[in-house]
Order: sequence, then structure tokens, then C-alpha cells
Amino acid sequence: MQHETTSDELAVLRARDFWGALVLMALSVCLLWRTFDIPLWGGNRAGVASASWYNSAAIVPLGIFSALLLLSFVLLFIAIKAGGAKRAFSAVGIGWNSTEALRFTTIGVILFCYVAGLVPRVDFIACSGLLVTALVFGFYQGRVERMILAAFIVALAGAYAFIAHLPQAEWGVHDDDVVTLVLWAVLTVWVMINAKGDRVLRLVPVLAVVAPLILVCAMAFGFRQNVPNRGGIIFSQIEYHYYVTLRPLWRS
Amino acid sequence: MDFVLTQLSGFGSAFYSLVADPLTYAYLIISVFLGITFGALPGLTATLAVTILTGFFGNKIPLDYSLIALLGAYVGAIYGGSYPSILLNIPGTAASAATAMDGYPLAKQGRGGEALGLTTTASFIGTLIGTIALLVFVWVLLLLSKNIASPEKALLALFGILLSGTLMSEDLVVKGWIAGLIGLAMAMVGLDPLLSEPRYTFGWSYMLSGFQVVPVLMGAFAVPQIIEGMRHMEVGKVAQVKGRIVPNFNSVRRYLPTITRSGVIGTGVGALPGVGEDVAGWVSYGVGKTVSKEGDKFGKGSVEGLLSSETANNACIGGALIPLLVLGIPGSPPAAALMGAFKINNIIPGPTIDPDIILRVVAIMLLASCTMFIMGLLTARVFMRILRIPPVVFLPIVMVLTTIGSFSVGGGINDLYLMLGVGFVAYFMNLLKFPIAPLVIGVILGGLFDETFRRSLLISGGDILVFASRPVASILLLLNIALIMSQFPFVKRASSRVFRKAA
Repeated sequence: MQHETTSDELAVLRARDFWGALVLMALSVCLLWRTFDIPLWGGNRAGVASASWYNSAAIVPLGIFSALLLLSFVLLFIAIKAGGAKRAFSAVGIGWNSTEALRFTTIGVILFCYVAGLVPRVDFIACSGLLVTALVFGFYQGRVERMILAAFIVALAGAYAFIAHLPQAEWGVHDDDVVTLVLWAVLTVWVMINAKGDRVLRLVPVLAVVAPLILVCAMAFGFRQNVPNRGGIIFSQIEYHYYVTLRPLWRS
Repeated sequence: MDFVLTQLSGFGSAFYSLVADPLTYAYLIISVFLGITFGALPGLTATLAVTILTGFFGNKIPLDYSLIALLGAYVGAIYGGSYPSILLNIPGTAASAATAMDGYPLAKQGRGGEALGLTTTASFIGTLIGTIALLVFVWVLLLLSKNIASPEKALLALFGILLSGTLMSEDLVVKGWIAGLIGLAMAMVGLDPLLSEPRYTFGWSYMLSGFQVVPVLMGAFAVPQIIEGMRHMEVGKVAQVKGRIVPNFNSVRRYLPTITRSGVIGTGVGALPGVGEDVAGWVSYGVGKTVSKEGDKFGKGSVEGLLSSETANNACIGGALIPLLVLGIPGSPPAAALMGAFKINNIIPGPTIDPDIILRVVAIMLLASCTMFIMGLLTARVFMRILRIPPVVFLPIVMVLTTIGSFSVGGGINDLYLMLGVGFVAYFMNLLKFPIAPLVIGVILGGLFDETFRRSLLISGGDILVFASRPVASILLLLNIALIMSQFPFVKRASSRVFRKAA
């Protein structure tokens, strides 16, 4: 494969490799330790006597994690030899870029709150609309204050849904749907105020409504598959009218 | 002779049944269009196209249509990557990286229309070469593979992971192997295949069934792409396309030897387990530069250079399907996504696969390549407009697509957590230049490796020499050892000394 890496980039990479190798070593040791929970030298499991080492379910994982540990040592050795250890303890050495870190953190927060907080609990169209609006507005022109605002709004919606309705038994409640819808509306108004003739930003509200709506309807009624949070405040209405109002039209 | 005639008649009937079905065309047009769009948009890849469509079409429609959708998208996406390479100097997919070397200089010289037309034709011929190779070699290998038992399967799976790790590494080979091992480790989660012993489940019932392939694929390929692509980027100025796009017959005839050579190289590279279209493109480009009379013009706007990479990456598709269908070992990352689609349809690719499926795959490839050719020539200007969409606009929609696709495959919300977790890990691996393809190949082949490795030991009563007891196993064992040894510094030094002396 063709690639070009400058010596500076390579030095940063080796410093990162130093930390990467340490993480991999810790992980391998941890999982090797867990592997010894699986009977290796005998025992009776699932009605099968596993008296020999080669019968054991631990044999392949043992090999994998031992090899991983060995290769982590090799990576650590390469990193140290290339001066990675010396650079590894300074922000410049590992190529720390605060703008890039902020960009990743805000995206990480948005994706985490969307997947872990919103999708299981909130109407899919509402939470996906909020996601699309937040991501396009936050990252379209690379402005830091917009990234933070977008992440804050999604985090607020996600945190409310997560904290107010943590157990699965409460996922059907609609107050988090309303909170998400309100936050989505507020963000959309803010986007439109800031759009000032920008074609992309003016397109955001349309995109945020149409894309999730089409996708969820295609999946639910076209492919007849399960979709997240069927009882959501918007989708439950669509589903009701599809089966009660629309479908009888062509069924009859 | 009877065998050949039987296969040809089987292929004919598979082809006819597809051609006679109007829905085939609907799926073909939609999937090839989506594939070209995915390929043309920088930041979206062929693997992502096949992965996302697996979430949508994988197990929700009859298998034939599902295969049409996925193969159509695969063929379309590999070809679609050439648009931004030629017109923006940004490879749409990794497979088209070599295309940009000559494509963009050609477009700057005002030969963009000619470059697009020849690329479309070369991609079409390349796909056909790969498809013919698939039709011929899959049967030869299927006959041979009947003699492959557990030791050979285990060694072959290991070879696939090691080779993928070796060739897909951008930085150190050891990183490719580590990625493969992480994939193998992920495949160990859940009940083990022989004794149903729970492994690394941490008391969570969801983990008993192991990591599902589709959420892992979505996490590994979609999430890092979304995180990486969500940045302010000025869409470059699209090069003006002057002249007609439909290629001149004489030009095609003139470059036919280059196209044929590159098609053969692409198919060969594709047939190697776990090695993708990008490697095929670069290998063919390198060979072309060495053997071509205009080798010195490569990188400055050579049509031969353009065709060398672009034919090979499309020919690689047919090649990549050979190990997938015959041995159950994906030949490239998009083929790994296809393997996921087979798995969720309860089809186990390998020596026991239904031969009808292979014939249908060949027929679909033929139809998909024709659709791509026609669409590429007639609607090229539509795809040029698509290039102007900034990634920040379409990537959030890809996230929604990924979420709903991953959710609907079967595991529900837990699959989404898995997807996100794998996605964040894959992002950091990308940052540290660990290749992701070996990880995915490891996840897919992990179960096969575990089962066949232990079964071999079980049958032989723990005799480790079982892996060298049969001729094919011995060859595979030697290949694995050679591949590992080839990365040792003293072996590298010795081999370079030998090569220097020979030169």
C-alpha cells in the first residue's frame, strides 16, 4: 500500500504506539486472567467430560491472548527503540491537538447520548431529527461554539431520557419525547437564525425531518421490520394511521 | 465435458430466471445507483455501502434480491470511487487511490470525459474478467475443497487473518496482526462451539450468543468514518469535463492488453484471503509502471496508469468472491460484509454451499456489471453533481441509516451498544494506524478457526502434528510459518541480500 508519513508524523505515531502497546498489554493480561476461569485441565461441562487440555474451551483464547501479549511487547519495543517513550509524556510528543480533541469529544458525546440515551427511549424520528440538526449545524463550518452548543443540546435531551427513564419498563413514557421535540425545535430556530442565506443550513430542517421519516417508514412498512421505540410519540401516530386510515384504502 | 455443459446450463437457467423477473431490474438499478453514489462521495466506502445495505436488505427480502442489492452496491461503489479521484483528486474509496495518480492530471489536461469513459469501460471489462474467473475457478476449487478437513480449514483461516494483517497494514505489520488477534478475541465471546462453555460473558445474557457480525461491521466501518468525516471541508473545485464520455472503440482496443493484464492481476489479488481492492489497484499500477512502454508517464496523466488501477480494483470483486464462496473466507473487506449477509440468511459459504447460489452470484455479477456500465456512461453527469455535497451533510444521515439497520438485524438495543463500542475502538485504532480489515476478518473467521482447530486436536487425541499430517495442511502450515518469519528482521535482511545478488 502506498502511503507517505513524514518523520514528525512517525515520531508522534511511535509515541502513541507506546501508550497503545501498554493498553494492549494490560488488556491481554486481564483477559488471560479471565481465561483461567474456563476449565483447562479437566472438569465436566455441559455433560461432556473435558479431561484433556485439547478438549478445553480455553485453549484457543489462551493462544490468542498470549500472542496478543507477545505482539504488544514487540510493539512496545519498536516504539521505545524509535524514541516513542521519550516523547510519550508530553502533549506535543503524542501530537495532542486541542481542537481535534474537542471535535472528537463533542461528536463522541452526541453519538453516545443518541445511541445510549435517546434511541431506546425517545421517538426515533424526533431523536434522529435532533441528531441530524445537531451534527450538520455543529460541524458544518467547524466553529467551536457551534460544536459545543450542538453537543450540549443532544446531551441535555439524552441525559433527561436516561436519568428520568433508566429502567426498560419506563421506556414507553412520552415526556422525554416532548423534551427532545422542544430541544429540536429550539435548535432548529437557532439554526435558521444563523443560516443567513447559507443554502446548506437552510436545508437542515427539511433534511432532519425527511431522512428519518423515510427511513423509519421504509423499514417498518416496506421491509416490515422492527424499528426502535415503536410507541414513540410521532411514530405511534404514523403507525396507527397507516393501519387504520391508509391501509384499508387499498385493502378494500 | 458433461460437467462443463451442466454448469453452463445451470448458469443459463439462473441467468434467465433473473432476467425474466422485472423486480431484478428495480433492485439492480437502485443498488448500483446507491453503490456508485456511496463510492463517489469521499468519506463513504464500498465496505460501508455493502455493510449498510446488509442492515437493510440482508435478511428482509428473498435471498436472490438481497444478493442483487448487495453485489450491485459492491460493483457500483468500487467503480464510483473513480469519480472524485478523477475530478477532485480525492479518492472516493481506498480502492481508487491509485486512480487519482493519473485520473486527475488527465482531467486537468481537459481529458476528463475521456478518462471517465475509459474508466467506466475498464471497470466493466475488469468486473467481467473477475466474474469469468469466479465461474471457472470456483468449480475447480470446490472440487478440491471436498478434501479439505478441519486442520486445513483452521490453517486457512489463520492464513487469511495473517495475510490480511500483513498486506492491509499502512504502518507496521505487527499492527495488522494485532488487529487480527483482537478480531479473533472478539469472536471468542459467547458459548464455545463444541462444549457450549460460556466465555467472557461477564454474566450478561446478551453476550451468550457472541458478538453479532452486522453491528460489528457497522461499528468498525461506519462509526470511525462518521467521526473522521465530520469536519469542515471545502469541497474542491470539480474539474471541468470536456468532450464526450462514451469512449472511442479504437481507444478501448488500443488499451485492451493493459485492461486484460490488470484484470488478471486484480482477480489474482482478490482471490487472496482478506486482501482488498486497494491492494489490487496498487499492485496492478506498480506492475503497469514496470512493464508499460509509457511507464515514465505514470503519475503525470497516463491513460495506461489510470486503466491499470481501475480495471484491477473492479476485477478484484470476482476474485474476492472465490475464497468466500469456496472456503467461507472473505477475499476483501466488502466480501466480509457479504459474508455477514450470508450468515444472517443462515447460509454457510464453503464446500457445502448450494451450487445454485454460486451460479446465481455469477449471473448477478454479470447483470450488475452491465448495469454499472450503462449507468456510468449515461448518468455520469448526475454523479458529478453528487460530488458537490459536503460530507457534513450526508454523514449524519449515514449515522441514522446505520442505527436503524443495525437495530433491525435482530439484536435490538444491545446491538446498538455493541456497534457504538466497536466504533469508538475502531476510531482509536485508525488514529494509531491499526488496519480495521484484519479485525473484521478475525471476527468473521474466529468461530471457524476455534471450532476447526479444536476439532482437529480432538480427532487426533491432542497430537499437534495433525496440522502437518496431510499434504495440503503441511503446505498451509509452511505458508503460515513463512508469512510470520518473513517479518523477522534477520529474515528480511537475508532475503534482500539474496534478491540483490540475483539482480
